Amino acid sequence: MSGQNRVLAILLGVLAVLVVAVGGLSTVLLLAGGGDDDASTGGSGITTGTSGGASGGGAAASGVLRLPGTDPVTLDPALAGDAGSAQYIVEVFGGLVTITPDLEIVPDIAESFEVSPDGLQYTFHLRGDAFFHSGRPVTADDVRYSIERAASPELASPLALPYLGDIVGTRERFFGLAETISGIEVIDDATIRFTLDAPKPYFLAKLTYPTAFVIDRQQVEANPRNWTRQPNGTGPYRLREWRLGERIVLAANDRYHLGAPKVQEVHYLLSGGSALTRFENGELDVAPISVNDIERARDPSSQLNPLYQTSPEFSIFYIAFNTNVPPFDDVNVRRALALAIDRKKVAEVTFNNMVLTATGIMPPQLPGYTASDKTYNFDPDAARAALAASRYGSAEALPPITMTEVGGGAQAGIDTQAFVEQWKQELGVTVEIQQTDFATFLDEQDAGRLQMFNGGWIMDYPDPEDILDLKFHSESQLNDVAYSNAEVDSLLDEARVVRDPERRIQLYQQAEEKIVSDAVWIPLYFSLNHSVVAKRVQGWIEPPMVLPRLRFVEIVE
Amino acid sequence: MTAYVVRRLAWLPIVLFVVSFLSFAIMRFGPGDPVTVAAGQYRDPEVLARIRAEKGLDDSLVIQYARWVSAALRGDFGDSILQRTFTVSELMFPKMWVSAQLGVIALAIVFVVGVPLGLIAARLNGTWIDPFIVSSLLFLQAIPVLVLIPPLLWLFALQFRILPVGGWGGLIDIYWVGGVVALPIPDPHLYLPLLAYTLGGFAGVARLVRITALEVTREDYIRTARAKGLSEATVFFRHILRNSLLPIVTSVGLALASVVEGAFFVETLLGIPGIGSFLFEASRSRDYDTIMATTVIIAFVFVLTNLIVELTYGFIDPRVRVQASR
Repeated sequence: MSGQNRVLAILLGVLAVLVVAVGGLSTVLLLAGGGDDDASTGGSGITTGTSGGASGGGAAASGVLRLPGTDPVTLDPALAGDAGSAQYIVEVFGGLVTITPDLEIVPDIAESFEVSPDGLQYTFHLRGDAFFHSGRPVTADDVRYSIERAASPELASPLALPYLGDIVGTRERFFGLAETISGIEVIDDATIRFTLDAPKPYFLAKLTYPTAFVIDRQQVEANPRNWTRQPNGTGPYRLREWRLGERIVLAANDRYHLGAPKVQEVHYLLSGGSALTRFENGELDVAPISVNDIERARDPSSQLNPLYQTSPEFSIFYIAFNTNVPPFDDVNVRRALALAIDRKKVAEVTFNNMVLTATGIMPPQLPGYTASDKTYNFDPDAARAALAASRYGSAEALPPITMTEVGGGAQAGIDTQAFVEQWKQELGVTVEIQQTDFATFLDEQDAGRLQMFNGGWIMDYPDPEDILDLKFHSESQLNDVAYSNAEVDSLLDEARVVRDPERRIQLYQQAEEKIVSDAVWIPLYFSLNHSVVAKRVQGWIEPPMVLPRLRFVEIVE
Repeated sequence: MTAYVVRRLAWLPIVLFVVSFLSFAIMRFGPGDPVTVAAGQYRDPEVLARIRAEKGLDDSLVIQYARWVSAALRGDFGDSILQRTFTVSELMFPKMWVSAQLGVIALAIVFVVGVPLGLIAARLNGTWIDPFIVSSLLFLQAIPVLVLIPPLLWLFALQFRILPVGGWGGLIDIYWVGGVVALPIPDPHLYLPLLAYTLGGFAGVARLVRITALEVTREDYIRTARAKGLSEATVFFRHILRNSLLPIVTSVGLALASVVEGAFFVETLLGIPGIGSFLFEASRSRDYDTIMATTVIIAFVFVLTNLIVELTYGFIDPRVRVQASR
């Protein structure tokens, strides 16, 4: 038609060309594998110091290690309860004792320690050459302050009692009945003594966890709210920079008392999509392998294959039965369900064997772990027999069963679906799946309202007490399945205090056997770490739990 | 006019009060709490009770709300349990900035594309093109964002591998042509969220423009304008376009609402660190302070934008101004 139509047509034409041009250009750019990662969108950030740091003895560290990462929830050791936070904290801070990649407990800020003959008193002698990053030497008073602060009512850390509660007086401190912890005694600047409420051999292992780490009193008191932004720790690395959602930079502490790190800087890159893609682009030195990429990593002809490594982790996934609630107050019903599912098949089909089928409750590498299978394995006939032996006698007589798991509600976990199908097929038992969000799940679980649920447990220190006693002792607050077996209790009670390590392990193994046989849990899988590590990185360790490891790494160009 | 603005502004605190009190109350009555979530594996009821008391979660709802208000008025939105090193404000504002950039660009695209489409449809009223444009846009509008994103991801990120699966990389990347000429191009992370935001939005704007333009075209003054021999271009741009613009301004407020709403799904599904995914994460872990701060800020921005829209309305159309000042 007339004028304005032409004008419009031209305008639209120009717009279309622009859209196509811009789209095309960025496509070309992406296909060329470019795309510089300037993810700077403002945001909160912290930069401490400039460079170098105190130079001590030993060869200077060099190189930059680039790792994927996520923002830690907190860098306050007393509050950190998650592995994501702990992985940074164990590098920046330290405690009286630490744990080696071989899971051995060795002195850190303490030079040595002795245990009284009755096993109640632990006396630590501090080394003279342990310094905060600021250069101030660590004293026994710093240790006492740190632990009393961690257990203070004002800080209200949920970790205080689990980790420090064995020291006499910690409960009183936590519940606001005392200003100090009576079981901690500073003898002189370099000596500190702890008195325990019972001779607990696992106390030392608990001290390797961040809750008992040493912090700088002056710094914390000067800036109680924001000190963790520039924490003054004693660890092998110090925090140089933290840009929220972007990156965390750790710099080597050259005068670290257990041996200076070999890598000068560690960069945790917190944004930017698939870690494996970035690894393959040469932007990262280490990347986890997900279930989508595992085939490729295992394929001998793949470039990833020589860089691929796998190792066990201290964690277990399980199905738990509330032994208080029908029908699971009947051990035979629990056994029937345990016998009716083929965990090996599910691990193979749904997880591509990225997990290990659990052989018991204690995961591999934990003292007390044995490879022999203690669990109920897939046996449909035995399952039907167990159900017939129950007081219900048949599937029809069972009350309705609901299994709860954490999830978005759209679809049950793929392995859960497989199990539900098998219970239906082998036993004729219908199990309803209910998905809730995490907060609701915890609430229901703590209230004892869940009939049966999907769970997981991550070990925090390498002692069987950390799982068997905490989850299955009838008096434990963390026993969320109402399990009560006098025999198991007495085994666990004895193991808490027995001094002979071999006898202790035997006690835990006996307890484990009984718990598994009572089918309180169906132990499903032990998790495995799967990752690829670049050739330039040497000495990289994937330990089964969080522990200081960066100082053993070296960059070889 | 001033009285009108003052009256409108006086409503703002009341709206914020209602929004914040309702969110506060609903949150507290839901199952679970942040103390349980933060405790992780170690949830000793006695310890959790002690922590709740220490954090004041034992006090009555009214006292807790009053405490929150008095802190918020001083600009202190409290602390997040998901990220304890930074305050809620420090966490929230960078995320708002990301969402705001995306939202403004999305709105701009909706109008830049929607208005001409509406005008074309009105212009070609009576041909097959008019119903074609309208029905295609309605089709796009009918697809929920939740349904739209997975196929887009599958197509562009997994099949063609030309767009990233998600995330955020700022607005502009620099593309070096031959290492010499720096060419600014949109960051590839932008395309999918913008598609998701805009595809459903065109219909609303285009239909509104179309119907107004059609109405205006039938007005007597247009006939007069044509009759006195004005060129078709003058008639269109001076008379039809200008008079069709009015309802478009009001639809900015509506379009903003749909962007804010979409942000929860789009940002969560595409892993964009904006306010929508932030609030989603926070509500999943009952992160009280974060939920409160984000809800109230979103409400604030919302009310304020609508106010500005209304004022602009009055600015464009004197009739509104006269009515309002009465």
